[in-house]
Amino acid sequence: MTDLAGLASYAAFFLAFAGIFAVIVLGLNLHWGFTGLFNVGVAGFVAIGAYVSAILTTPDHPGQLGGFALPVVVGWLGAAAAAGLAGLIVGAATLRLRHDYLAIATFGIAIVIQLVALNAQWLTGGPFGLHFVPKPFEASLGAGLPFNAAYLALVVGVVLLVHAGLERLVRSPWGRVLRAIREDEVAAESLGKRIFAFRLQAFVIGSAIMGLGGALYAHFIGYIAPEDFLPILTFQLWTMLIVGGAGNNRGAILGAVVVWAVWAISGGALRAIMPPDAQTRGAALQVVLIGILLAAMLILRPRGLLGEETAISRHAAAREPEG
Amino acid sequence: MLQLIADGLVVGSTVSLGAIGLTLTYSLLRFANFGHGELLTTGAYAALAVVTAITAWGVDAPPIGPFSFGWPLLVALPVAAGATALVALAIDALLFARLRARGSAIVLIIASFGAALALRNLLLFVFGPLPEYYSREIQIAVALVPRGVMGGMRVTPDQMVVLGLALAAMVALHVFLTRTVLGKAMRATAMNPDLARITGIDTAAVIRATWILGAALAALAGVFAGLTGQVRTTLGFELLLPMFAAAILGGVGSIHGAALGGLVVGLAESLLTPVLGAEYRAASAFLAIIAILLVRPAGLFGRVAR
Amino acid sequence: MTAALAVHDLVAGYEPGLPIVRGAGFAVEAGEILAVLGPNGAGKSTLGKAVAGIVPVASGSVRLAGREIVGDPAHRMARLGLGFVPQTDNVFAELPVEDNLDLAAAVAGAPRARRIAEMFALFPDLGRQRRLDAGRLSGGQRQMLAVARALVAAPRVLILDEPSAGLSPKLAQLVFDKLAEIARAGVAIVLVEQNVRAALALAGRAIVLVEGRVRLSGAAAALAADPRLGDAFVGRGEAA
Repeated sequence: MTDLAGLASYAAFFLAFAGIFAVIVLGLNLHWGFTGLFNVGVAGFVAIGAYVSAILTTPDHPGQLGGFALPVVVGWLGAAAAAGLAGLIVGAATLRLRHDYLAIATFGIAIVIQLVALNAQWLTGGPFGLHFVPKPFEASLGAGLPFNAAYLALVVGVVLLVHAGLERLVRSPWGRVLRAIREDEVAAESLGKRIFAFRLQAFVIGSAIMGLGGALYAHFIGYIAPEDFLPILTFQLWTMLIVGGAGNNRGAILGAVVVWAVWAISGGALRAIMPPDAQTRGAALQVVLIGILLAAMLILRPRGLLGEETAISRHAAAREPEG
Repeated sequence: MLQLIADGLVVGSTVSLGAIGLTLTYSLLRFANFGHGELLTTGAYAALAVVTAITAWGVDAPPIGPFSFGWPLLVALPVAAGATALVALAIDALLFARLRARGSAIVLIIASFGAALALRNLLLFVFGPLPEYYSREIQIAVALVPRGVMGGMRVTPDQMVVLGLALAAMVALHVFLTRTVLGKAMRATAMNPDLARITGIDTAAVIRATWILGAALAALAGVFAGLTGQVRTTLGFELLLPMFAAAILGGVGSIHGAALGGLVVGLAESLLTPVLGAEYRAASAFLAIIAILLVRPAGLFGRVAR
Repeated sequence: MTAALAVHDLVAGYEPGLPIVRGAGFAVEAGEILAVLGPNGAGKSTLGKAVAGIVPVASGSVRLAGREIVGDPAHRMARLGLGFVPQTDNVFAELPVEDNLDLAAAVAGAPRARRIAEMFALFPDLGRQRRLDAGRLSGGQRQMLAVARALVAAPRVLILDEPSAGLSPKLAQLVFDKLAEIARAGVAIVLVEQNVRAALALAGRAIVLVEGRVRLSGAAAALAADPRLGDAFVGRGEAA
C-alpha cells in the first residue's frame, strides 16, 4: 500500500516535471518552431522567471532578499513579465541581425544570468540559492502524494491554457505572418520594420512563457540555485522540441514527456550500474546519451515524432477526398 | 595597469588561436560552431594523456630551463593537434556533413550545440571532474617592469612561451593562407564555393583541410589555456564566448580580424576585471559582443556584409 | 574524329521534377565557336551550368573528348579540361589578380609561371594590375580576368555564360575579339549569349534554345538570315 502510494507520488512528481518542461518547450516552439528565432539561452529566461517569482512570493527570511510574501499567482505573473522584459531587451538588440548572431547573443545572455545568479548574493542568494519558496497547497494538503498530485493538476491546467492560447495565436493572421517570415526571410526582409515588430512580439511572448515555466519549477521544488539553470537545461529543452517536432504544439508537449522519461530512466539505470564513487561520471554519460539522441533525431527524423502541422498540409488533407 | 595588459595579452593570444579556427570553419561551412570550445578541451586532454603516459613510463623528463614543463609536453603538442583533428573530422563526417547535405545551416548550430555537450561530458566521463595540471612545478614570475612603474609587470616563463608560440602560429598561418596553393584554395572556397569548384578545387577536401587546421589551432589554444591555468572539462566552453566575441569583432570570416579580435577581447576582459569584479569576468566578452553588434555588426575590421 | 564536347539529350534543372533544360544537345569541335541563343528563360544559362556540373543533371550525356563526364563532380570536370566562366561572381574578389590565375593553374596542374605569363600577354591590362584585388577591377577587366581564370588551366573546352552582359558595346567587342583569338589557338568555345547579332557574327555555328529544347541549329551566317530566328524569340512573346 505504501509502495503504491510512493509509486503514485513519484508518477505525479514525474508528470508535473514533464508538464513544467512542456510549458517551457511551448515557449521555445513559438520562438523556433513558428518564427524561426534561434534562442540558445532558454535556461536564462527560465532562471529569470524562477528567481523573480521566488523573490516576490517568499516570506521574510533573514539574509534573503524579499519577504514580500505576495500570492503565488502574482509571482507567476511577475515571472512572465520579467522574462518577457528580458526578451524585449535581447530581442530589440539582436532580432535585426542574422540568426547566428541571435544564437550567440542569447547564449551570452544565459551565461551572464548564470553569473548574476551565482554572484549577486544580495539578490539571488548566490551559490546557496533561494530557499522557502512557497509551495501552493502543501500546507493544507500535506507533502508527498497530495501536494504532487495537486501541483500536477495545476501544471496540467497551465499547459492546457498555454497550449490553447498558442494554438489560437499561431492560427490567427498574426501566426500566419510569423510563418511567412520564417519560410522566406529574403521576401520578408522587403517588408522591413513590420517584420522586426512581429519577430519581437513572438520573442517576447515566448520568453514570458519560459519565465512562467521557471516560476512553476521554483514553486514545485521550493528551492532554486544557479546550477538548476545551466546550459544543459537549454540543451534538454531543445532536444525535447526537436524530438517532439518543431512547429507543432502537441509535439512540443509530447517531446517534453518522452525526453524527460528517457532522461529519468537513463539516469536511474546509470546510477544502478555505476559504482558509488563514479556517480559523477555516470551523470556525464547521461548527457552524452541525450546528445546522441538529439543528433540521431536531426539526421534520421528531422521533423520530429509528430512533424509540423502546416496550413498547407491541412489544405491538402482536406482536398484529398475530392480528388 | 601594465600587469593587466600582460595578462590580457596572454589570455588574448589563446582566444585568438581559438577564434581563428572558429572563423575558418564559419567562413567555409557557414555556421557558428558551438562545439568549437570542446575542440580546445579535447586538445588539452589529449596532451595531458600523452604527458601522463610518458611520465608513467618512468621516463625522466625534468623541466626545460625556466619553464614548468619538460619535453613530453612538446611531444604532446603535435599529438594533441592530430587527435583533435581526427575528432573534428569524425564529428563532421557523422553529423555535420549529413546535415549540410540537407542544406539547412541553422540546424547545424543546434547539432553543434548537442555535439559540444556530448563531447564535453564524454571527456568528463573519461577523465573525471577534478582539474589537472601538466606540471606541478612551481614557476617564478620574472619582473619585466619594476613595481614602481605603472604597477609593474610580472610574467612567468610559461606565459611568455605561450604568447610567443601563439604569435608564431599566427604568422605561420598568415604565410600558409597567402603563399600556399592549399591556403589560397581555402580562402577561395570561403569567398565563393561554386566558383572554387568550377576552378577545379576539390571543395570537400578543402573542408576537411579546414577542419584539420581549425582543430589543430584549437588544440594548441587548449594546451596553452591548460598550461597557464588548469586542464578541466569546461576549459573550452568557458572560452567559447570570448572566441565568438573575437570572431565577431574581427568580422566573421576574417582570419586576420579574428587574430586581432582575440587580443582585443583578452585585453578588454583583463582591463574590465577591476571594473566589473573578477566574478563577472566572463560577462565582459558578452558586453563586447552586444556593443559590437549594436554599433558595427560587420565587425571592427570586417567589410560590410554582402 | 570525336568532338571536343558533345552533349546529347540533356535534361537538367535546379529542382528534381522541374527540368529547365528538356532534352537539349549540341557538339563543338576544337577551334570552333558555338553560340547558344534563345529568349529569356529558354534555359541557355542552365544548359551551360549543367554541362559544367553545377546544376544537377537528370538524364542525358555529356562527353568531353569522348569521355562521359555526367555525374563527375564539378572540380574533376574542370581538371579534365572543361573551363566555365559564370556570368556573375566569376572572380575571387579578395584575391589579387595574380593569385586568381595562380590558384587556377596550380589545381589544374598546369605550368604555373608560363601559363600566367601567357595570360598576361593575352590580356596586358591584367598584367599591369597583377597585385590588385580582383574585386577592385573595372567591369571589363574583371570579365577579362574571369576568362583568363578559366583559360589559364589550358582547357579543351571553354563555356562562357553571357560574357558581354553589363559591358559597353565597345568592351563587349573587345571580349569577343579575345574569344576569337582563343578559338584560333584550338580551344572549343561554347558562347551562351543574349546579344544575338554579335554572337552570330563571332560564332561559326549556333543553336537556338526555346523552352529547354533546341528549336534551330546551323551555320551562324545561315541562321542570321533565317526568318525563323526571329519567330523563335517572338514565339515566347519576347523581343530579341
